Amino acid sequence: MGLLLAPGDAMRTLTLLFTLIAAAPQAAMDQRGVVPDGTVISSAQVTGFDSDRLSPGLRLNIHDLAGTPLKQERLDELAARIEEERPRYVAAVRAVLDPDGQARVFFVVARQPDPGPDENVNARYVVEHADVNGVLAADLSDGLRGDLQALVGKRLDSGDAERFQERLARELPGYDVSRRIQKGTEVGRIRLVFDLHKKAVPNWLRFQPLRSNLLYHSDQGWGGFWDVNLGDPTIRFTPMFAFDYSDDHVEEYSGYGLRFETNKLGTRRFGASFEWSWFDTDWRGASLEGLALNPGIPAPYDNRMTITPLLKFAFSPDLSITGGVSISELEPLEPALDTRMANAVVGSIAYDRQSAGDAGKHTVDASFGVHAGTRDLQSDLTYTRYLGQGLYRYDLGRHHLIASGLAGGLTGQAPIFERFTLGDSVTLRGWDKYDIAPVGGDRVVYSSIEYRYTGLALFVDVGSVWDANTERQVRVSAGFGFHAGPAYLAVGFPLNTDALRAVFTMGLRITPGLRW
Amino acid sequence: MTGRRAAAVLLAVLASGPPRVSAQAVTVDTVGEALRIHAPGFSFLKGEPLARLKDGRSVRVELVATVLAAPGKSAAAATRRIFALSYDLWEERFAVAPVDARSPSVSHLMAAAAEAWCVEQVTVPLNALGALGRDLPFWIRLDYRLLDGDPPQDSSDSGYTLQALIDTLSRRRKTESSVHAVEAGPFRLPPRASPWPR
Repeated sequence: MGLLLAPGDAMRTLTLLFTLIAAAPQAAMDQRGVVPDGTVISSAQVTGFDSDRLSPGLRLNIHDLAGTPLKQERLDELAARIEEERPRYVAAVRAVLDPDGQARVFFVVARQPDPGPDENVNARYVVEHADVNGVLAADLSDGLRGDLQALVGKRLDSGDAERFQERLARELPGYDVSRRIQKGTEVGRIRLVFDLHKKAVPNWLRFQPLRSNLLYHSDQGWGGFWDVNLGDPTIRFTPMFAFDYSDDHVEEYSGYGLRFETNKLGTRRFGASFEWSWFDTDWRGASLEGLALNPGIPAPYDNRMTITPLLKFAFSPDLSITGGVSISELEPLEPALDTRMANAVVGSIAYDRQSAGDAGKHTVDASFGVHAGTRDLQSDLTYTRYLGQGLYRYDLGRHHLIASGLAGGLTGQAPIFERFTLGDSVTLRGWDKYDIAPVGGDRVVYSSIEYRYTGLALFVDVGSVWDANTERQVRVSAGFGFHAGPAYLAVGFPLNTDALRAVFTMGLRITPGLRW
Repeated sequence: MTGRRAAAVLLAVLASGPPRVSAQAVTVDTVGEALRIHAPGFSFLKGEPLARLKDGRSVRVELVATVLAAPGKSAAAATRRIFALSYDLWEERFAVAPVDARSPSVSHLMAAAAEAWCVEQVTVPLNALGALGRDLPFWIRLDYRLLDGDPPQDSSDSGYTLQALIDTLSRRRKTESSVHAVEAGPFRLPPRASPWPR
């Protein structure tokens, strides 16, 4: 009796049995050791439970004990059958020796205690079968099969089931694992079922990162760029809106656009995107003055419309290439001048990898891209722009380390929107781009390291942006910031300058990191 | 015509929003030195948690009863209890075990009875109310939060969406199911030991 109890139930059941002993009819003490085997049983009955709820066969067996010699083993067997038929109850045997030398037998039955806080009420049921659905048995390791069978024949142990589920998920990482319990073939028996569903195969190609940024810069003022994903993991539409935004270009631009992307064209190796945008531009006085002094730089424009169709190919989940064209129409500031075209072949190779484990999560993003404006595409501006950039991020609990860097160059006559800038909310925080290079530069080198503890950030930025025919000056800044979800605030201080000043930025940013 | 009527009904249903517990359904009484809450319509055994229970798994629910001096005001007193619920597959009844074991476990309950039992265990000590109740009216806010859930899926490839932004800003996580609440009042402390609608 009680053999089917899980170890966790043992103490409570023991207590219950003592209670049963105390409550047994006509027996103030345990008579079990007093009534010897062979004593004739005068009567046998069930107390504490309506015996009509037992099967007729069991009732008959108990009734038939009368007149037979007492055998303790037989009584224990019948008590075990009561528990088996009524798994929510526990049964004890009492034998009382009467003065006439005969014994009266009582099967004292009581409900098991209610579950404790960490227990499942179904823990009282015996697992008659444990199944793993969704994979062939041959796909399970010997160890898994052994552990699965070890769950059978015992009362349900949610902890064991949970551990087996976790092991399944670990050994079969391509599947989502869930578990459920069903009624078994007999009362008090249950089936434990682990359902495995193949995980959706992740796409190898990634969508272009969003760059939403609602920004206040103490030197450059307010601006915003907002793009939002609409779609599913395979196809995405991204409307874009900009207003007075100058964080990533020389110009301050406002306008809108739409990007369509798919990262699965028949196969997850192929993808495509198509982007159209129209932006009206404003120019800072410093930029116009700088342009006037640099006649080699193409003229500023009143607005630009760009169409960019791209094809993408993934060599692996981590490595992909992109190729296409970028067609830009630049409307001149002065109506008398002709519209200019800046049409380029664009291509890039990107490596993105994430790995996570007990020792933290590592993220590596690296890319190298080339834009080549060519007359073959009817471009008025011929140029070559190349840019390599990398970002490494390490996350361990509340600790985050972000290191990034980039280097790029331009040759030929590149439109102003292709020129490099530093000194904004992302790069060289503490400097103002319109102080460093108001018309941007055709060379750039930059690196940054940032440590974050929860939301508090400390950073050091080093970089230089210059024109090939001018002297290069390296600038350094350091500062601190706060991050709470997409909200950020940073105060940067330029270091290698005599002017003691601080640049303050704050806003909401969806995608942190580099922006080219 | 039928289609128009059906559309009108649909619109009315949509406009009415999700079903909410009427404030009228909440009553309080005192038991010993504690304020006991009754909210027969306050339901949390539904949807995904119910499906999880019917699959033989357990669910933990946190209930918080807050006494307010006025609607929307800060809490004057609050009690928080966590309950582990499970569903007996063979008996087809619910069992509830308070995690803090301050009260005994119960079993063989229908869903509504299990919910009601949980709510009634979240009592507020009368001495925590101060002047509220006897001299001043008070309001009751009852919240529940489902603590158990499957781990969040990796959304690294899904990018940010408007919903993700809203979730981020509201710091909502998948493992924390939405908090549901009902607020009712004003109440005054009733004479001892008599169920008392407001």
